[in-house]
Amino acid sequence: MNKKDQEELLAEFVLENKEKFYRLAYSYVKNEEDALDIIQESIHKALKGIHTLENSQALKSWFFRIVVNTSLDLLRKKKKEMVVDDDTIEFFSPKKNDTYENVDLTRFLNELPEKYRIVIILKFFEDLKIREIAEVLNEKENTIKTRLYKGLKMLRIEMKDISYMGG
Amino acid sequence: MDKKMEALMKEYNDIPIPSQLDFVVKKALKQKPKKRIMTKVAVGLAAAAAIFIGGINSSQTFAMTMADVPVLKNVVKVLTFREYKVDEETFHADIKVPAINNLDNKELQSTLNQKYLKESEELYQDFQADMKDLKESGGGHLGIENGYEVKTDTDQLLSIGRYTVNTVGSSSTTFHFDTIDKKNKLLITLPSLFKNDAYVDLISNEIKKQMITQMEQDSDLTYWVKNPNKEDNDPLDTFEKIKPDQNFYINEHNKLVISFDKYEVAPGYMGIVEFVIPTDVLKDALVSDEYIK
Repeated sequence: MNKKDQEELLAEFVLENKEKFYRLAYSYVKNEEDALDIIQESIHKALKGIHTLENSQALKSWFFRIVVNTSLDLLRKKKKEMVVDDDTIEFFSPKKNDTYENVDLTRFLNELPEKYRIVIILKFFEDLKIREIAEVLNEKENTIKTRLYKGLKMLRIEMKDISYMGG
Repeated sequence: MDKKMEALMKEYNDIPIPSQLDFVVKKALKQKPKKRIMTKVAVGLAAAAAIFIGGINSSQTFAMTMADVPVLKNVVKVLTFREYKVDEETFHADIKVPAINNLDNKELQSTLNQKYLKESEELYQDFQADMKDLKESGGGHLGIENGYEVKTDTDQLLSIGRYTVNTVGSSSTTFHFDTIDKKNKLLITLPSLFKNDAYVDLISNEIKKQMITQMEQDSDLTYWVKNPNKEDNDPLDTFEKIKPDQNFYINEHNKLVISFDKYEVAPGYMGIVEFVIPTDVLKDALVSDEYIK
């Protein structure tokens, strides 16, 4: 596939799924400005690196991977900028909307260690296959499965049908 | 599906989508690396200085504005020649056009000044177009700030850096440098400093070395470079080589400084990054030690 086709494919794909990427970025940084920054930067990176993508089938996991890495980069920067105690962070963090019924539960997902949280988001909210998640996170499929089990266990969610997770 | 999972999924899908998202995505997709105008100008200068003489004569307003400025004899100066401003509720533009004054080589002065004016006008037009788009798609914040910074001003050298900060929710910054030899009245290009193309590899290797050293000393720094000492380091898009006409300037200590725009070799939070190249690395490749010592 030539470069122009690749760029068109990328543009189409990103436009179609922009809300998914935005939510994923937002779930890391919890504010609109940074989430938009991540989207913008991810597209920059993707346009620069699209020629390295050999298989257009891999576009989905490739772009998710860029968004995940860009989000982590930004968090790393924030951590560097804000060396303050937890109370202060709590105070300045965007307040959760108090009308949520399941506020304890959702807070719980955010408190999950990052490596478990992200596999749950990608698997259940973004409908990625285990193989794709492995590509996004650059890990083995078995590692991803293990993290899914553990993550769900921590959330005390029981998946009755194990095959549901297999995909 | 489990009730808790349903609730979690609902909350995730309830993350509000800002009205600006569509604009930000489209704008980012449009932003392809622009061809450097600098190369064209440099080549043009050598080949056809004559063409630009017409340019000075036809630019009456320009000549008059310059004449109004109090002139210090034989001092090359950079001053703000024109400013474009937009100041609406969520739209801000501030574009300052620099003008070089009192350069003995009038063709060079005029060429550079016209280039600055043309680029600024294009920026302003682009901004107007974006503003219109964004207004039609429901509004949002948009800003542009363009200005210049005199990086070096010695008896011999003048390096001007012009920057553009684009803000669409977040910001991106680009820098363009011009370095002028005041004595010999020349615009210095990167290739013109060196005997042959070998400088590309010399400089690139030095930069990679500096990137890796910096990252090893400070884990908060990230460059997209492959580190041979680390196995798990696998950036998506690695820095291989500088462009032959990579952005550069010469600092007041006569050292070559290579500059990269935001996103060019590092994640956005690193901003614009610069590398000072030790002259020892370059000395065998340099045409002379006139500028770089």
